[in-house]
Amino acid sequence: MSQVLTDKDGVKRYLITLNVNGDAHTILVKGNAILTNVLRDQLDLTGTKKGCELGDCGSCTVLLDGKPVDSCLVLAVEADGREITTIEGVSANGALDAIQESMINHAAVQCGYCTPGMVLSAKALLTRNPHPTEPEVREAIAGNLCRCTGYVHIVEAVLAASQGRVTPDDH
Amino acid sequence: MSANYNVIGRSVPRIDGPEKVTGAAKYTGDLKFPNMLFGKILTSPHAHARIISIDTSEAEKLPGVKAVITHKDVPTLKYGLSPARWDENIFCSDKVRFVGDKVAAVACLDEDTCYKALKLIKVEFEELPAVLDFLHAMDEGQPLVHEEYERNINTEIHQEFGDVEKALAEAHHVRSDTFVGQRTYQSPIEPHSAISMWEGEKLTIYSSTQSPHYFQHYIAREFGMPMGDVRIIKPYLGGGFGGKLEPTGLEFAGAVLAKLTGRPVRTFYDRAEMFAHNRGRHAQHMEITTGVDKDGKILAVKANFIMDGGAYTSLGIASAYYAGALLPMTYEFDNYQFDMFRVYTNLPACGAQRGHGAPQPKYAFESHLDNVAADLGIDPMDIRIINARRPDTVTPNDFKVNSCKMRECLERARVISDWDEKKKNLPHGRGIGVATGSFVTGAGYPIYRTDLPHAAAFIKVHEDGTAATLYTGSVDLGQGSDTVLCQMAAEAMGYRYEQMKIVAADTEITPLDFGAYASRQTYMSGAAVKQAGEEVRKQVLDMASSMLNLPVDDLDCEDGIVFSKSREGKSLTFQEVARKHFVLKGPLLGKGAYTPPKLGGSFKGAAVGTSPAYSFGAQVGEVSIDKETGEITVVGIWDVHDCGKVINPRLLHGQVHGALYMGMGESVWEEVLFDDKGRIKNAELANYRVLTAMDMPPIQSEVVDSYEPSGPWGVKEIGEGATNPTLGMFSNAIFDAMGVRVNSLPLTYEKVWRALKEKREREAAEKA
Amino acid sequence: MYMPDFEYHTPRTLSEACALLAELGEKATVLAGGTDILHKMKVGKLAPEHLVSLKNLDEIREIRHEAGRGIVIGALTNHAAIYNSPLLQERYLSLPMAAHTMASTQICNLGTVGGNIVNGVPSADLPPILIALQATIRLVSASGERSMALEDFFCGAAETVIAPGELLTEITIPDQETTGSTYIKFGLRRSGALAVTGVAVSVCVEGDKLRDARIVLASAAPTVMRATAAEDFLRGRTISDEALAEAGTLAAAASRPRDSIRGSAEYRKNLAEVLTKRALRKAIDEGHV
Repeated sequence: MSQVLTDKDGVKRYLITLNVNGDAHTILVKGNAILTNVLRDQLDLTGTKKGCELGDCGSCTVLLDGKPVDSCLVLAVEADGREITTIEGVSANGALDAIQESMINHAAVQCGYCTPGMVLSAKALLTRNPHPTEPEVREAIAGNLCRCTGYVHIVEAVLAASQGRVTPDDH
Repeated sequence: MSANYNVIGRSVPRIDGPEKVTGAAKYTGDLKFPNMLFGKILTSPHAHARIISIDTSEAEKLPGVKAVITHKDVPTLKYGLSPARWDENIFCSDKVRFVGDKVAAVACLDEDTCYKALKLIKVEFEELPAVLDFLHAMDEGQPLVHEEYERNINTEIHQEFGDVEKALAEAHHVRSDTFVGQRTYQSPIEPHSAISMWEGEKLTIYSSTQSPHYFQHYIAREFGMPMGDVRIIKPYLGGGFGGKLEPTGLEFAGAVLAKLTGRPVRTFYDRAEMFAHNRGRHAQHMEITTGVDKDGKILAVKANFIMDGGAYTSLGIASAYYAGALLPMTYEFDNYQFDMFRVYTNLPACGAQRGHGAPQPKYAFESHLDNVAADLGIDPMDIRIINARRPDTVTPNDFKVNSCKMRECLERARVISDWDEKKKNLPHGRGIGVATGSFVTGAGYPIYRTDLPHAAAFIKVHEDGTAATLYTGSVDLGQGSDTVLCQMAAEAMGYRYEQMKIVAADTEITPLDFGAYASRQTYMSGAAVKQAGEEVRKQVLDMASSMLNLPVDDLDCEDGIVFSKSREGKSLTFQEVARKHFVLKGPLLGKGAYTPPKLGGSFKGAAVGTSPAYSFGAQVGEVSIDKETGEITVVGIWDVHDCGKVINPRLLHGQVHGALYMGMGESVWEEVLFDDKGRIKNAELANYRVLTAMDMPPIQSEVVDSYEPSGPWGVKEIGEGATNPTLGMFSNAIFDAMGVRVNSLPLTYEKVWRALKEKREREAAEKA
Repeated sequence: MYMPDFEYHTPRTLSEACALLAELGEKATVLAGGTDILHKMKVGKLAPEHLVSLKNLDEIREIRHEAGRGIVIGALTNHAAIYNSPLLQERYLSLPMAAHTMASTQICNLGTVGGNIVNGVPSADLPPILIALQATIRLVSASGERSMALEDFFCGAAETVIAPGELLTEITIPDQETTGSTYIKFGLRRSGALAVTGVAVSVCVEGDKLRDARIVLASAAPTVMRATAAEDFLRGRTISDEALAEAGTLAAAASRPRDSIRGSAEYRKNLAEVLTKRALRKAIDEGHV
């Protein structure tokens, strides 16, 4: 159980450790703090987006112990001690992941607001299934709503990344 | 046109791609400022009610609350987007007009405190009878949404071109049909946000806006400030689709809260509040009558529409005019009558959604045209080809069309969809449908009256020539305009895209541009950018001429190299020439501006729908219907567009995909639903069914070779045109599959099932 | 969005959780995967004084086979774990498939089978197939425990027989002679859609006859419901399209759907009829799918 501090008004705060993108952050949160908000507001990791806050759009997708979840439906206290990957943790030292590169080259990004969640869902898919079929790609990103692309180039980009073809022929 | 281009016409990667895929891109709601407060707006729980009293004292006492404001604390000047009907206030003072109307606002230390403070504001309402059914809003005895608008009429249009009655009387066949469209919502994935702050008398607002200029204009007007003291900055924008074109309570209330507290204030909507603010597609009731000759040539069209405007005007006057104005685009006919009432109701205001005004009338007309074709025994593809608009024609409502490959689009769609085979061989339950669409390439006139140019651009070549920055007021809301405009700048300069930088959409730094609406930027902003680029190029060639001691006429510049056209080997890099220019003559700058020519006729409303150029497109879709459940499976969609010269093919097809995706949702899956108190029943993304990746069929998007003589490099619109055919295309594909016509949107599984059931019952009754 | 304040508890063991729930009584709400509870709290439908998190109770997070009992599924097993369970995939693929069609990957990685049951809504996707597979559940409290058939757990719209202080700990699918089962969900889009109507069936085929059939409807009544008249009709009957269609008609006749934003009562009755017929055919022909 994490340490609990109570302020003068009786409000309890929990000292928790979130392991985000390999960094351990020990922070104080209220019990009702939502993981999305803690990542964004306390850790300044604003790549995790707020779209619907009800688990319908997938903009807030993060990997929790390697698995994609809607961080808007996770209490930060519930993630205490767990491994979290946000979009900021997908590329290392400016080297883009193949999915990211493929998404740029296939014009799979438009407004970009769904993109972080989309990349993470695709990343989780390719980690457990390196050579998915098109229906498997569609299913893996079905929880990430995109209002711009009709998903055409996104699906193409993820499939291409899985086949090591991050640059399309028409480039 | 057979010119060789180095930069345009290539699918270069988006300039903002790396920032967006890594999560580094900052949207308005991602920004933080020292000492920043959070603001929320209290809205009405009633569709129509008088405000008796507002007591904010309890809210003010809550720790962490820094300001609470109501109508007493803000300007009372009415605002709106259509200048002819400013009818909205920052906060309601006398009465509220829809569930979600703005009543008060708070600024607090954190978000949590905002919600607690809102709950402590006591508003006493006296509920009034509400107008919720737009078809009865004009009836005698209905309550008035705005006392000054009799019979709740917001906009009334009666236009006639040619002699419709005579043409109908002479027609071989006349048919009337009635269709009803639904209210939809843009639903961008990024919720609206604004961060307002003051430095002395200067107001700066970071906002999720499609038009920093219009925001600047309307906010300055509301607060009685010079425009120069209002700075609007658009950070990355997470989609808009028409829903972020006008300032909202977030900017107006946020500015007041920031002024009162002396601190930056971030205001924002959650998803349900976005639905309540709305400004989505109007629901419309559409009666259409058409007369044709024996070959199916259209002789006259009569359109009689009513649209549900909701509680305020927004851009709705334009929507009302657009509904009729764009109907005669894709087919040629001389006699046309258009009657329209846009009525007020106690529902959220409607505005401009992708395809502004046109998709629902297109649904009605394309469905109706298939009915006419069926009456005459003509193939739906043939009746469209027979009537297809030709280039260099003028519509009955005085729109001049230059380039137009409507017929080629249809013919190509026929081939790639395998139309003729499918028409013969598809079994019952499978069907194929076609529809056409057209859209403006930018509006011919601004939203408010002004003689300012519509777009302007600067290019600054950096002192050492290794980079050039394009400054533009245009808005990349995802469509890729930052990328496309940098391609255009580089092409015009003779420079390389990879060395371009862009600063966009900041009214203090970037030159005037009206922003992202009416599919205007590639053409209009592009025209200004091209001019600016050419100005740079001219200076570079002049400088190179003196450096190489060659006549300017002999020099050209491509891809960052200045070279002699006549002497091999005589060349300089753009970079060294630019640097020399800076040393000898000072900054190397280019500027450009674009103003459209005077367009359109002189009748009332003649300006709406005018444009220097129009896109055209044809869409074919194939569906499979489950006869027992009505479930619709989309087998495939084929889109062929005439959108002029293509600057970036991948981005262009992305626009087609997105536009028809939105149209597809509106066709079958999306509808904003209200209960009998005017409350939205599905103000979320579980039951407002934005389609998922699993719902999308294979899509084939093609363009026909096209060149628009009036546009920079021959470009035209693409961002919205592909929404316009989709609804009618689905209606026709379902009709083809099952032989039943669903006359109201969305064409839900249940409606299809019901239509089939009724057909079976009818046939059984006929047999008996 | 607003999240109400609450006291947060993280009992370390099942018995500690039971003791805590006994002490807090009706003031406590149990937090498992959070997809329903946090959603309800955000939209203002729930504001518990105490939230008791089960995150430490790994003892009820596994799927195992117990000789003589059947397959025991810990209540905290999430939908993704059900979908990925080799044991379930081998024995009753219909259950993993139902878990799979329930929601997005992100939700399936959070939401638990226990939550899906305790939530008590008639549109839940797992109870129908579990009931078709004759599942029983175990409810544990500080004062003891009880087991019951899952179908007896639901007693009204979003109402169950669970008492304050009780915790659903496991679901058991008994070893059985059924030859096939399936769940067909009819949603209004391919992902992220609640069932307009859903039908789960299990069948026991013997030669050309149905020795037994269980038919369970989702979103067809205030609670998940058995279509017993249709089951009685089918028992011992020779398999034919006509018989399956008649079972569909009987199931639809017994259903009591209401008009909702997802479909009219009339439409939902039609769906119950069509889906029953189709589910039976699928389970008869394809086994547990």
